[in-house]
Amino acid sequence: MHYKSPVREPLILGNKDLHDITVDIARPIETKANRWWWALFAISFAAMLWLFGCIAYLIGTGVGVWGLNNSVGWAWDITNFVWWVGIGHAGTLISAVLLLFRQKWRLSINRSSEAMTIFAVVQAGLFPLIHMGRIWMAYWIFPLPNQFGSLWVNFNSPLLWDVFAISTYFSVSLVFWYMGLIPDFAMIRDRAINPIAKKIYTFLSFGWSGRAKHWQRHEVISLVLAGLATPLVLSVHSIVSMDFATSVVAGWHTTIFPPYFVAGAIFGGFAMCQTLLLIARKVLDLQDYITIKHMEYMNIIILVTGSIVGCAYLTELFIAWYSGVELEQYAFLDRATGSYWWAYAIMMTCNVISPQLMWFKKLRRNILFTFILALFVHIGMWFERFVIIITLHRGPLPSSWHDYSPTFVEIGTFVGTCGFFLVLFLLYSRTFPVIAQAELKTIVKSSSTKYNKNLHYLDAAELEKMNKINKKK
Amino acid sequence: MKKQKKYFKSPYIKGNEEYLHNEFSEKLPLDGLFEDDKQLSSTATSRRDFLKFLGFSTAAAVLSSCEAPVRKSIPYLNKPEEIIPGNPNFYASSCFEENVFSSLLVKTREGRPISIKSNDKYLFNQGGLNARTYASVLSLYDSSRLREPQDKEGVFLENVDKKVVDRLTKINNQGKQIVLITPTIISPTAKKVIALFSKKYKNVKVVYCDSISKSGILDSNKDCFGDRFIPTYEFQKSSVIVSFGADFISEWIDTGHAKQYGKTRTPGEEMSKHYQFESLLSLTGANSDKRIPVNPEEQLKCMLYLLEKIEELKGVKQSVNIQLDKHQKILDVIANELWANKGKSLVLCGSNNKDEQVITNYINNLLDNYGKTILTQVRSNLFSSNDNDLDIVIKDALDGKVGAIITNDYNLAYHYPKSKEILESNKIDFKASISQYLDETASMMDFVIPKSNYLESWGDFNPYTGVFTLQQPTISPIFETRQSEEILLNWSGDKTSYYNYLKKSFESEKKNWNDTLRDGVYIKQQSEKKYSFSVNITKHINNCLNMLEDKKEFICLYSKSSMGSGLQSNNPWLQELPDPISKTTWDNYLTISPAYAKKLNLKNWQVADGALNGDVVDLSFNEQVYRLPVYIQPGQAYGTFGLSFGYGRIKAGKVGNNIGVNAFELYDGNQLVQKDNFSIKKVDNMEHEFACTQISHTMMGRAIVKETSLSEYLKDPESGNEAMKFASYKGDVSPSELKLYEEHKPAMHFWNMSIDLNKCNGCGACIIACHAENNVPVVGKEEIRKNRDMHWLRLDRYYSSDMNKDLAAEQNTGAIQMYSEMEEASSAENLEVVFQPVMCQHCNNAPCENVCPVAATTHSNEGLNQMTYNRCIGTRYCLNNCPYKVRRFNWFNYKDNDNFDYNMNDDLGKMVLNPDVTVRARGVMEKCSMCIQNIQKAKLDAKKEGRKVRDGEIDCACETACDTGAIVFGDILDKSSRVVKEKKDPRSYVLLEELNTQPSVFYKTKVRNKKV
Repeated sequence: MHYKSPVREPLILGNKDLHDITVDIARPIETKANRWWWALFAISFAAMLWLFGCIAYLIGTGVGVWGLNNSVGWAWDITNFVWWVGIGHAGTLISAVLLLFRQKWRLSINRSSEAMTIFAVVQAGLFPLIHMGRIWMAYWIFPLPNQFGSLWVNFNSPLLWDVFAISTYFSVSLVFWYMGLIPDFAMIRDRAINPIAKKIYTFLSFGWSGRAKHWQRHEVISLVLAGLATPLVLSVHSIVSMDFATSVVAGWHTTIFPPYFVAGAIFGGFAMCQTLLLIARKVLDLQDYITIKHMEYMNIIILVTGSIVGCAYLTELFIAWYSGVELEQYAFLDRATGSYWWAYAIMMTCNVISPQLMWFKKLRRNILFTFILALFVHIGMWFERFVIIITLHRGPLPSSWHDYSPTFVEIGTFVGTCGFFLVLFLLYSRTFPVIAQAELKTIVKSSSTKYNKNLHYLDAAELEKMNKINKKK
Repeated sequence: MKKQKKYFKSPYIKGNEEYLHNEFSEKLPLDGLFEDDKQLSSTATSRRDFLKFLGFSTAAAVLSSCEAPVRKSIPYLNKPEEIIPGNPNFYASSCFEENVFSSLLVKTREGRPISIKSNDKYLFNQGGLNARTYASVLSLYDSSRLREPQDKEGVFLENVDKKVVDRLTKINNQGKQIVLITPTIISPTAKKVIALFSKKYKNVKVVYCDSISKSGILDSNKDCFGDRFIPTYEFQKSSVIVSFGADFISEWIDTGHAKQYGKTRTPGEEMSKHYQFESLLSLTGANSDKRIPVNPEEQLKCMLYLLEKIEELKGVKQSVNIQLDKHQKILDVIANELWANKGKSLVLCGSNNKDEQVITNYINNLLDNYGKTILTQVRSNLFSSNDNDLDIVIKDALDGKVGAIITNDYNLAYHYPKSKEILESNKIDFKASISQYLDETASMMDFVIPKSNYLESWGDFNPYTGVFTLQQPTISPIFETRQSEEILLNWSGDKTSYYNYLKKSFESEKKNWNDTLRDGVYIKQQSEKKYSFSVNITKHINNCLNMLEDKKEFICLYSKSSMGSGLQSNNPWLQELPDPISKTTWDNYLTISPAYAKKLNLKNWQVADGALNGDVVDLSFNEQVYRLPVYIQPGQAYGTFGLSFGYGRIKAGKVGNNIGVNAFELYDGNQLVQKDNFSIKKVDNMEHEFACTQISHTMMGRAIVKETSLSEYLKDPESGNEAMKFASYKGDVSPSELKLYEEHKPAMHFWNMSIDLNKCNGCGACIIACHAENNVPVVGKEEIRKNRDMHWLRLDRYYSSDMNKDLAAEQNTGAIQMYSEMEEASSAENLEVVFQPVMCQHCNNAPCENVCPVAATTHSNEGLNQMTYNRCIGTRYCLNNCPYKVRRFNWFNYKDNDNFDYNMNDDLGKMVLNPDVTVRARGVMEKCSMCIQNIQKAKLDAKKEGRKVRDGEIDCACETACDTGAIVFGDILDKSSRVVKEKKDPRSYVLLEELNTQPSVFYKTKVRNKKV
């Protein structure tokens, strides 16, 4: 017998039984896409082509096609890199950490957020590659035997740590994601009519038969991978932050960066989850599974991590003043009042002030508000990284101070990665089971409306009303 | 019609035009292959064979494409005895261009001159080279040089000498004048050639022209001493120097002055005191102890007042009585100091006005400086032009008296725009130009005779009384050129080569030719004339007083150390060399003081990418309108407009064309100051894009250039350089005691560099020397504007600010306001300027080394921070982490790229490349290597000879180029080396010590001779 919380809202609405869930989740795969999907796909695809065009131009001509200069050696490239890596974090957090903490509400969203992680890491991984002056030598960042004899990589360099951190993260996330997908693929396989689809899903499901032994192994490996992935949630962004923290650049050289980056990453990642799922639940008709309550949970995490980030910003300012180090003080003063004050202002508004509105229950349960706020967080988190990186424009020697502005290639590359990301996500949404249905089915008994009609804190009429509202939205 | 070059194509072409259009006139035997199907099917080629052929041909194509491209190099058939591939040869030579004389040592590699340094055998007047001379080696390989004689239409001229001689003889017979226009000639043998030429064609008028005239000084000495000459100045013996607008460190009479002056700038009791009155902010003003910004009329007033004061002190009859509105107090002090240092002082004037120069002479005479700091018996021959000469030529030509005009290495139409009138008219029968380029003048001439570069020429020079040098070619002429002396010699009927002529003329010296050629220098007693000073000062004072018209606006023309008078406009190194003060490249602009700009509502501002934009004005002068951008220059005198010579070339070549305005068009009456007939009007809705290597003005209150005053320094040599202490658990410690890493242990050597900020005057010669040595690419204006210069060595220039932390604390100013005020340069009266050369600091805790993921930048066991280009993948992390921002990234391919059409994009220009240094590829980081190729060479030489490397043996390009000896490079482990001594000096400090990067480069505090 499952323990039923008397106060928690149900996580599956709409009187779904096990079969309903199967049908609902298989529907996007088995039916044709609607116009909205095609429209969005066309736009994203165009943006993706633009990305590849920009990259080709960049590699063909030189990094000089970006707006970088002798003082500002990184700008949009690494901003985008950190932003995308950060977005990836929510997925791992949801699937690994929430699994370990036995948070059931993760079940409706973990699949998509993991997909988001992987697609975001793909975007992120592009930037360290294309920002290199000689991308054709990129393989030198791996400790490979080479023609230079004993020449090895530099293990002191945080960029090298990045290589390991990101590649580990990507592979663990991918495996974890795939493990969860196997029973669901098997479900699709079993329902597939089209012989080609059947073949493909048969291959993808690795011969899953649903035997108890399979389930047992699946459970174990999920737990092991969750254990493996959990430290990665902390390590990846900590290491990314060390690109900055281990440098001597005032404004970068800060010990607060690892926790602050991790909190920021979760903050930004959950916002991306919101953005994607708010659209997906509507377009794929999954309101019964991704409910207002799910939104609210995520909003609470956004509120908490946003507040942590806000504290970090203030701590940075305080420490800069308290340190008595002039370069440090100036770096922060310049951030807030210098030529990029607007970026700082956007960051502060979007990341610190706007999430505080989530204290209001009405707002955090409002879908439109959530959607807009998530966009704010994306903007804020992008500018957070930009504000940090652009500190380079005023280094210790005023003689080399120089501002920076992006060229169309940098803007195109960024917009293009958004397109690429959406292309991947849209393709995923029509070929993959977007909700981990096998796992979700484990809570049908404990927290769906169908099996919990007699919960006394809500009467049936009220539940019906909630179901209706959910449907409408 | 233009001359069409014909190339060999095919022996069949002649007489059989069919071959031109039809390569295969006979029918190809293709019948069997395509036309007959039956035949085709019956051939023996089976499918198997076909596949074999296919496979073979694919494999062959792949194999052949795997082969590296063949680069042909032609070995010596008979190896020249003196050339050992890989080893440089040095030849002593001399250069006299744009009135700058330098005795040089030319470094050649495999027969190509690749760099220049000053000849240390030449000691007179301290020697010294400026940036233009260093860059002149690139001008040798200028692809826009003339390659063969040509006429007006550019058609090749055959038998040009005969044609010229015929024409000249005809003109001579008509009794018309033959005018030869040439720059000042200081070569005794060339003078002989000209005499020979004048003898052959009776009616020859030789006009000596200096593009920027020093006629005022020459004439003033005629009035004072009865002879037209320029004396030599002895700055090194001067304790007090007062300059009224003379930019003697950079662009006055002699490059040697900077070195002489540098000798008096060692901090101590003997340090000279230098006052500068000037309108524009010159390099000299920037180096002065006290700079007084004045407009040209105020400057004259100050000079007259000084005269009055000196007369008063001397107790002679007062010849002038002048009232000053301001600066009286400081002039009283100056007068007293000058008087106290009688015979050990110098008063100079930069004007080209005779009367002002006479006043200066008079003051110097009152101070007994003649014979002590100004030597009349040793004359400088570098200038000789007379301002009226060209006007007379124009008049004569318009009257039809001139039959021929020949310019010899002088760009008449550019330097003297009025001459276009006669060059365009058909009043002159014969116009010829002996020139290196098809420049503004040559392109208007009937005959253009190409002239050799000075590095391809022979010659002898007599720059000063008793001082002689030889010039020898370091490469045989690249094109069909001759040196101008040889051309004139041939036209005079003497068919001997100039080399033989010179050698013959040298025989009279009774010296060994080879030895003299090796040294490049020889001394010969010349009669030293004695002069006595006598002048009617009242007349000149009255002339000066008449010049005081109480004008409010002035145009002040000046020349830059990079461009001079524009001879080398087509030299990309020089175009990209930032102006030492404004830090602007590739541009000509009107400088204006901040206060006056405000009055005229003119602005400079930064755009989003940090580059500088400025308003544009129309400057009307003598009914001509010139459109110029405005650059707001702190420190400039109110109401003055500065404009530099050397720009506005239209026929300089691909690099130098159409940059700015030709200031010679405003050089009316050869006067640097123009105060009549001009007006300035702002052009609405137009902005100009500048390309500056430094945008910011001040040090923001940071201890970057440490500075102190002499009075403080004498009390405590460590003043201004107080030890930095950090609070730690061990108590207060210096940053270097807080370690994270183990220190590098140097093996045999530990290279260090000392830069004395008191000796560095910011001239920028080191930057060009570094370019030549290290193959630094030129990136062009657009890239400089984006802050992507490739200079391995840069010269930071900081202005003082009126705001500082103490003042802010006193006035309770908030941090935001304090910093924003700190960014502003001081008001003109209080402005002080400091310079700081910054190259890779070769940190021993190098932030760049830690962060490179592929270990492309590493530490050598000799303390150098090394950059391995072919390991670099271009993440630019090192650049971000470098606090000194000295790393330079190859944003594009700078060689063989039409978007960067400079010297590295043509085969001729590439000949200047130093074969010891890699040309860096796109996408890699580069930076100063401390000329590691020369370190290695010195080490190898020492090893071969079984000895240690001698101190000073290593040729670090910037150190060698620094005339004032500000840069000292050496081994800190060699206890007797100069650099050890410098390091121990209480003035030495490292840049950004608080970061504990432990640089190998250290600086020495700047000491200004003033009291606090």
